[in-house]
Amino acid sequence: MSWIKPGLLILLIVMLIIQFIQPTRNLDNGQVLSVALTEVVDVPQNVQAILQTSCYNCHSNNTLYPWYSRIQPVSWWMASHIKKGKEELNFSEFGNYSNRMRESKLKSIVGSVEDGTMPLPSFTWMHVKAKLSNEEKVLIINWATKTRDSLSLNK
Amino acid sequence: MKTLISSIALSTFFFVACNNGNQTTKMDKNTSSTSTVDQGTKEDLKTAAGSISGLLTNYLQIKNALSKDNDQEAATAAKDMVNAFGSFDKAALTTEQAKVYNDIEEDALQHATHIADNSGKIDHQREHFEILSKDIYDLVKEMGAGQKLYYTNCPMYNNNKGANWLSETKEVQNPYLGQSMPTCGTVKEELN
Repeated sequence: MSWIKPGLLILLIVMLIIQFIQPTRNLDNGQVLSVALTEVVDVPQNVQAILQTSCYNCHSNNTLYPWYSRIQPVSWWMASHIKKGKEELNFSEFGNYSNRMRESKLKSIVGSVEDGTMPLPSFTWMHVKAKLSNEEKVLIINWATKTRDSLSLNK
Repeated sequence: MKTLISSIALSTFFFVACNNGNQTTKMDKNTSSTSTVDQGTKEDLKTAAGSISGLLTNYLQIKNALSKDNDQEAATAAKDMVNAFGSFDKAALTTEQAKVYNDIEEDALQHATHIADNSGKIDHQREHFEILSKDIYDLVKEMGAGQKLYYTNCPMYNNNKGANWLSETKEVQNPYLGQSMPTCGTVKEELN
């Protein structure tokens, strides 16, 4: 058991060192791209508000960081979630998707909100406000379904 | 001194463990890429329908796995499909076909990847299979199937919203409801 003490010391030093390594933050400084979701499809104010609170932290170019996001390794963990989230779906660049992709993203939004797989439980655990109420779920599902239908009519 | 040695030993152990992990993933990648090459050389085909036959085989494998409620097999077939997209030969396609193909590939590849990554979550696999089916249907419509296919509809899936899929058999084997409702569905269209 004599290795425990130096082991802990090394861990502490490593923890201290990694505090100085901070990943790039996901911030757009209020800049709205011409390919942003709101620029390419109709998004009612109430739907946009829900998307902003519950989805945009990982699915847009702008994250609202909580204070503890500065603490490592939390920042790495968050950065990797944001990277993965944006790869999957980025509302800030929704207009870059082809029509087929837009339809398929909207369908996946409906699916994951219905299943409750999104927003991630590990996210809503810390962000209680991001948790979707049943009314909010219905709003999102109806909006995404309607938008998807309008896209397939446009073909 | 003893403690120092043991802590060094411990950290070395972690390093070695990490490195081993990397090696195995590298090896996995190598083996999968060789199998892709093999597939590519085997399919020395000249027509557009010929080019997509590999993709269709994988699609039907996913479909059959899902109708047997087998998430593992669906994931394996989807992984093969991802590789098949990687080795797809566009040479036989016309410019117009290539345009349609590129549009579909981008989307279909994502859904195949999700099915491959989600063994253990068959419901999630089925959601992606639904959109994948639409993609493959559009692909077949554009390029021909080179084989008889049945575009089948199950009206009950997803709270009676319904969903479609392609099958090589006229006899219905439902990939969305699986063994709980194996024969639910009707053939909407026959494709060649």
